[in-house]
Amino acid sequence: MHWIRAHLGRAALALAAVFGTCCATAQVAPSEVQGARVERPVGEWLMRMHEASRLRNYVGTFVVLSAQGGMSSSRIWHACDGDMQIERVEALTGPARSTFRRNDEVVTFLPISRVAVMERRESLAMFPGLLQSKDNAIAEFYSARVVGADRVAGFDAEVVQIAPKDGLRFGYRIWSDRKTGLALKLQTLDAEGAVLEQAAFSELQLDAPVRLDRLAQMMGNTDGYRVERPELQRTTAAAEGWSLKTAVAGFKPMSCFRRPAGSPEGTVQWIFSDGLAAVSLFVEPYDRQRHAQERLLAMGATNTLTRRLGDWWLTAVGEVPLSTLKTFAQNLERRR
Amino acid sequence: MEQLMTNRERMSALADGRLRDAELEHALRAVHEDAGAREAWHEYHLVGDVLRSRELASGPLDARLVEQVRAAVAGEAVVARMESAPPRAANDAVWGWKLAAGFASVAALAAIGWNVVGTAWSPPTPVIARAAESPASVASADQQAMIRDPRLDELLAAHRQSGGISALQMPAGFLRNATYEAPGR
Repeated sequence: MHWIRAHLGRAALALAAVFGTCCATAQVAPSEVQGARVERPVGEWLMRMHEASRLRNYVGTFVVLSAQGGMSSSRIWHACDGDMQIERVEALTGPARSTFRRNDEVVTFLPISRVAVMERRESLAMFPGLLQSKDNAIAEFYSARVVGADRVAGFDAEVVQIAPKDGLRFGYRIWSDRKTGLALKLQTLDAEGAVLEQAAFSELQLDAPVRLDRLAQMMGNTDGYRVERPELQRTTAAAEGWSLKTAVAGFKPMSCFRRPAGSPEGTVQWIFSDGLAAVSLFVEPYDRQRHAQERLLAMGATNTLTRRLGDWWLTAVGEVPLSTLKTFAQNLERRR
Repeated sequence: MEQLMTNRERMSALADGRLRDAELEHALRAVHEDAGAREAWHEYHLVGDVLRSRELASGPLDARLVEQVRAAVAGEAVVARMESAPPRAANDAVWGWKLAAGFASVAALAAIGWNVVGTAWSPPTPVIARAAESPASVASADQQAMIRDPRLDELLAAHRQSGGISALQMPAGFLRNATYEAPGR
């Protein structure tokens, strides 16, 4: 176990040196900020949180609570070694399922159906490129400030409020570990500041002796499981005949897929993001029997809107206010 | 922290989504530390499940519980219930978007589900109807009802898989999606 710690230590030092020179503001040593509030621009907070999770092993229990009363929790193991990150998420509520992630490869084991789903989620590899790109919207549409101090799962944390600059998106409150910056608790807030959803560690052991090789082994062991590799058919909104009359401020179109791959009668998914929140517009041919009810639905931080658009049926899903989904729906138009 | 609520009451409040901040934290701790609280939580789930799922109301004990609860709510507002559902996996009854009744007397219906916020544009179709024995009477669409829809589950999963382009992904965002993830393919 010692060689992993030593290796990690070296990697951490190397990374800290690189990170230190790249950062606009120098990292302040922990002793200097005890009690003092360190203000950082929003991008820097997010980067700090991201890096913290890449540099440490940890084991913990993670709980997600929604304003409507739903609760789900999972046990997390996280190991890292240089550039490789492996995570194991074991669901504690709902049907048994294990999710493994190695960088952007994700394997989900579903014991009930004995199916293992293997995917490469490109969205996971996009950060921190998201923050570093010149036209990133985050600083334009969100601001960050420290609003307090608190303890989460036994760790001293700074409470950072990430406020939206307009009503098209939600706000967030993040409890960031004072020493490492790790995001311990994340709340999604609506315009009135009410908590829509809270995701937090109820228990956390930082620098736990998690064995990366053991996690990798478990991730690769698909004995007794039927392996599925869903293929994503990448397309463009224009090719599918869709466009937005007016762009929704801050939300850039990121990608477009046809699901399932290769089916002309299938659903087109058009994805937008403002850097923190994502919206998916699912469009499929209208079917009177299946598409009976236009609805507005809420589940935690995720809202859904369903609506008929002529011969088409739209399901708009996103971690944004319902009014934003309505704006998307109103602007979506058929080109051909 | 003062014991203003018993852990049982805390579980009920937690399930109703009435807790915030420090209280929320306290309830969370209770779930993990107190076996009694966990039992209460489980019980509330069970009550809800049995009310809505025929598959679970199998034994005589369950049936009696169902009848007791039904009698208690007989005078209350209508039970929101989805019309004939498409065939589901055996485990769907205990997970997924459960139908919650709008009344608070039946304690926790802490389901992970879609809450109907509104039926915006179309004339309301009778998606909400009264439970079995009682004479039909349609609840207003404004009532806090939860619905379940496997198709929405599918789209939500797709949104989470490929729409997760967020600076919040690591770790909280990814963990949140993995914890929340809808089952069944």
